[in-house]
Amino acid sequence: METFTVAMVITPSEAELVIQAQSGERNAFSELVCIHAQGVRNVIYHMCGDTQIAEDAAQETFIQAWKHLPSYRPQTSLRNWLYRIAVNAATDLLRKEKHILPNALEDLQLQDPHLGPEALFFEGERTALIQNAILSLPEVSRAVLVLREYEGMSYHEIANALDIPIGTVMSRLNYARKALKDKLQQSLFVQVEVKHVDSRE
Amino acid sequence: MSTHVSEWLNAYHDGELHRTQFQRMEAHLAECDTCQAELELLESLSGLLQEVPTPEFTSVERFASQVNLRLPHKQIAISSRQILEISWWMIPVGLLAVWIFIGTSFFISDILSAANHLGFLRGISDWMAFVPSNDIYLSATLSQLGLLSSNSLSWAESMEAFTRMSLPLISLQISIALLYLNWIAIWWARHARHQQPGQFLEG
Repeated sequence: METFTVAMVITPSEAELVIQAQSGERNAFSELVCIHAQGVRNVIYHMCGDTQIAEDAAQETFIQAWKHLPSYRPQTSLRNWLYRIAVNAATDLLRKEKHILPNALEDLQLQDPHLGPEALFFEGERTALIQNAILSLPEVSRAVLVLREYEGMSYHEIANALDIPIGTVMSRLNYARKALKDKLQQSLFVQVEVKHVDSRE
Repeated sequence: MSTHVSEWLNAYHDGELHRTQFQRMEAHLAECDTCQAELELLESLSGLLQEVPTPEFTSVERFASQVNLRLPHKQIAISSRQILEISWWMIPVGLLAVWIFIGTSFFISDILSAANHLGFLRGISDWMAFVPSNDIYLSATLSQLGLLSSNSLSWAESMEAFTRMSLPLISLQISIALLYLNWIAIWWARHARHQQPGQFLEG
């Protein structure tokens, strides 16, 4: 009679991977990179609006994380820790790459009076408009907004990730949203109108 | 509409309000059209922000291998700041360990003392001779000098036994408790400084 050997593959938990990586295990660290790569790249992309820069800054984030991994305390969230490094890496890169700094953005597009409500429905234009509005925010407020709106993090998690008090998280988020409302007034008006039409139907 | 409520609209929208604040906000929104419109605007803004598509990044596996190729050989060892941080968290652990050690030592000592009185330790080798005996040196001396009556002798004996046996334990435990309270006070001060609310409008 034939016998079959069933090999059970036990996937180590994140905490186990961290301990292995802290002792210099590169494969364990690669697995951690796989787990968090998408989130880190998303955060950086929304911080800087450029795919290539997001890739580069994300690589830099993980290299920094690897170097400083022995000082990471496993009782804190690895994601929050990585996001803090990611935000710093994005900020550093934005400062180096002056051409994508908010000052250099095509602000004219934000204030173009000829852009009617119909034109805003064109997806590309709308996306560019929203992205430019986000990029025109101060870096500190942008980081809080990105973590809240795109990563769905709670105020407490954002405070931990950025090492700032919760009150500051709230004030920066309020400021960012207020600034965006002013900049995207027209798009928002259309959005609210569409919502009202939908609810009437 | 009160300014206070307006300041908490974002927190309400993000589901960050506690129960009481949440209920207050619900009640306020039910009768305030301005805040209702403001909330709708916030919801629309969140919807609008979600329209920014996530770009096509390189595959996660390829990205991980690219990172792996760039990883330096050495990691940075734990800095003195981290050692300081670890030491800080070891203080309460150390205090607790000392407290348990002292408590256990005195407990064992009491048990041995009681066993000695009851005669259970007879025949056990001499190494148990350290068990505290009932000799009350000072009161015995005072009694021999005729300075203590029989009543006051027994009182003095009890007091002396208390002073010799229990006072060190109590004073050690009080010292440990005070040190622990100090640690909590410092931790609380650091924590409160970190959690203090910031200004609500910047720029």
